[in-house]
Amino acid sequence: MAEVLQLRGLSLAYGATPVLDSVNLTVAEGEVLALLGPSGSGKSTLLNAVAGFLPLRSGEIFLRQRLVATAGSAEPPEKREIALVFQDYGLWPHLTALDTVAYPLRRRGVRRDLARSQAQQILDRLGVGQLSGRKPAQLSGGEQQRVGLARAMARQAALYLFDEPTAHLDAQVRDVFLAELAARRRESGAAAIYATHDAAEALGLADRVALLIGGRVIQVGTPQEVYAQPVSVAAARLTGPVSLLAGSDFPVLVRPDWARLGGDRTGVVADVWFRGSHTDYALDTPEGELQLRAPGLPAHGRGEEISWSLERSWPLPGD
Amino acid sequence: MRSGLARSALALLLACVVAVVVVPVLVLLRTSWVEGRGRLAEIMTDPGFRSAVANSFWLSAAVTGLAVPVGVAIALALRDPGLPGRNFWRAAVLLPVLVPDFVLAYSWLRAYARAGLTSEAFGFAWPQVQGPVGVTVIVASNAVPLVYLVTAVGLSTRAEPVTERAARASGARPLTVLRTVTLPLLGPAIATAAVLIFVLTLGTFAVPQVIGAPAGFRTITTLIYADLALGSDPQSFVEAITLAVLLVMITVIVVTPADRLLGGRLSLSRTPARDSDWGTGSSTTRILVPIVLGLYLIVTCGLPLLALVSAAFTRAVGVPLSPENWTLDNFLAVLTPRTGQALGRSLLLAVAAGSILLVLGGCTAALSRTRSGRAVSVLVALTLVLPGSVLAIGLLIGYGRWLADTVLIILLAYLAKLWALAHRPISAAVDRLAPAGLQAARASGADLPTALATVVVPVLRPALIAAWGLCFLTALHEVTMSSLLYGPGTETLAVVVLNSADLGRIGVTAALSVIVTVVVLVPGGALWMLGRRSRHG
Repeated sequence: MAEVLQLRGLSLAYGATPVLDSVNLTVAEGEVLALLGPSGSGKSTLLNAVAGFLPLRSGEIFLRQRLVATAGSAEPPEKREIALVFQDYGLWPHLTALDTVAYPLRRRGVRRDLARSQAQQILDRLGVGQLSGRKPAQLSGGEQQRVGLARAMARQAALYLFDEPTAHLDAQVRDVFLAELAARRRESGAAAIYATHDAAEALGLADRVALLIGGRVIQVGTPQEVYAQPVSVAAARLTGPVSLLAGSDFPVLVRPDWARLGGDRTGVVADVWFRGSHTDYALDTPEGELQLRAPGLPAHGRGEEISWSLERSWPLPGD
Repeated sequence: MRSGLARSALALLLACVVAVVVVPVLVLLRTSWVEGRGRLAEIMTDPGFRSAVANSFWLSAAVTGLAVPVGVAIALALRDPGLPGRNFWRAAVLLPVLVPDFVLAYSWLRAYARAGLTSEAFGFAWPQVQGPVGVTVIVASNAVPLVYLVTAVGLSTRAEPVTERAARASGARPLTVLRTVTLPLLGPAIATAAVLIFVLTLGTFAVPQVIGAPAGFRTITTLIYADLALGSDPQSFVEAITLAVLLVMITVIVVTPADRLLGGRLSLSRTPARDSDWGTGSSTTRILVPIVLGLYLIVTCGLPLLALVSAAFTRAVGVPLSPENWTLDNFLAVLTPRTGQALGRSLLLAVAAGSILLVLGGCTAALSRTRSGRAVSVLVALTLVLPGSVLAIGLLIGYGRWLADTVLIILLAYLAKLWALAHRPISAAVDRLAPAGLQAARASGADLPTALATVVVPVLRPALIAAWGLCFLTALHEVTMSSLLYGPGTETLAVVVLNSADLGRIGVTAALSVIVTVVVLVPGGALWMLGRRSRHG
């Protein structure tokens, strides 16, 4: 399958501060790639570089096998086949929802009345068709987000970029958008990058996940891979809680749900948190401190000596 | 007890506003009714009167049409953080503000008129500079910094960079972004700037007086001056007050609907400019902008000031600018006790006005949360657009009996005219104070004075410095009211320069202008540095 986006050795800096450090990344046709990283890791910068708003220090960006940016030259954003959903929506205070969504259509040369009727259809699909006459100041945060999304959908793009929506996309809107994307994938092979710092969101919606820390991509893989086979402790921490135990040769990583109560190992309960559907324990064990997740109500109290076992673990030769 | 204190402070403020603004305007209206009723028809049909009114109107329209596009273009060009030397350009564009407008007008003459600098150096003269065209161009170039400031504030508060990036990402080319997003968002700011420039040009006096009057180009303000300063018959007095009333009426007619249309956005308050995070300009604009801007500043400011300095240091007009013609005679000629006294008087007046206005403006800002406090601040805001000639005549009629020919009446005029200038920056800073800050300091164990000194004053300090500095500098520049109110022994330095220009003493006037400019530039530069340090430190 041909790739929609290819980044080769992408580096970028604000003044003397490096923000992205030789990033290599590809996004295949029809793929949704989640860009998962803590705030300040360079997610927004990467998206804005792909969109064409930031000059590169070095490296190359290919969109549909076409070179669009190098250190010296860059194709302007409007010529790139991208659509961007902004972190703070980026709506225009002076335009109604309808004119906002019609805007990309108008730039493509669609007649005004036709653009408006198409924009209305998109707003309808996202469930905000009745708000088409309102300006941003008259819309709630969630409604503004849908309008921003509708504007991106109105753009015929090869690549849809989501810059970490501050309020997470609600499930219904996300499903509408993913369905839309699936339709476009069949038509034109469109793809998406979704930047977020929320592990559950990234693992839940993406085909592949790229982990970004300090401006470097440290791992790329399917959600299962990055969760179950992290390349480092830092990578593991990005995708969920994790304990580091002393193993026979290397330290081993253990997710809370990989350990269970009862078995051949011993430990002392240091803390207990009841979470409703399950209970989290912190155990002091000879191999180190362990987080353990067990279904149901708390069965042990603080200070109690209990037994436990490992269902699986992941060795970390490098660390 | 605190509300009692606040109430008496408010009463005092209200009394001050009534005394320096309301009474003069009402007295003016009453006098024009009593004195002018019978002769109104006669005055209104006078060709001199009619042409002055028409000239003022067309001048304001032309200046607005010229200054607004230039100021907006400069604000847009200087927004690109990737522009080389951007901070320098942002300061340089504001430079004309530091030079008194009558000095700048006079400098244009020395640069471009017959026998001026460019005529001597390149054989190029621009005779039209002395006349309506010259007045328009010079007033417009003086107005550009204000348009630039208002637009820059509009850019930083309304047209955030993300709105433009969203348009680019939607497929719009840079020019389309400008047309469909940036300019529509700037609409209110541009409209505000246009109304302000129109009204301020209606009231402008120094440039039409220095450049226009000798060429027979009269505006409302210069005709008022001619009537009061030169005319002695009752007829010219009546004509002056009729003109003043007319000026108030036109101002009100222009400002009222504009204020309503803009939903009360007719304000100058500056919010801290938040820099956009990355560049918007292309490499071509980054080369072109400094060149165009540099040429613009050389033509509007650089050459005129150079011409002024060279006129001040040469023996006579028209002689070559070679060392044997250099002289200090012009400066020696103006170093008279009279000039010294005028300089001292100007500085004293400016310091007094700045200090009193700091208190008045601070109180107005602090009390503006109550309803009557807001009324005071609205009245104060009006003085910004009330022409100086009107205030001066009102004060003269109202208090002339006791205060005519004293420094005190000039001080009153400064207080009335500059109150808004002191109020704006302070009130903007007060609005930004976190309301819980003072309570938090008290809850942390500070008594009220300590709390004020530790968490309120440090936040307000840049605004207080700015307010004092603005009032001080503007008072030093002031010539519209001073020229109508001064008497024997109470001339300000600006009046001395204006009179010298009227007498056509070129070298001496140039020397005086240089002195005025230096007197303004030195404290101006010092205040600017102080302001910067207290903002960053």
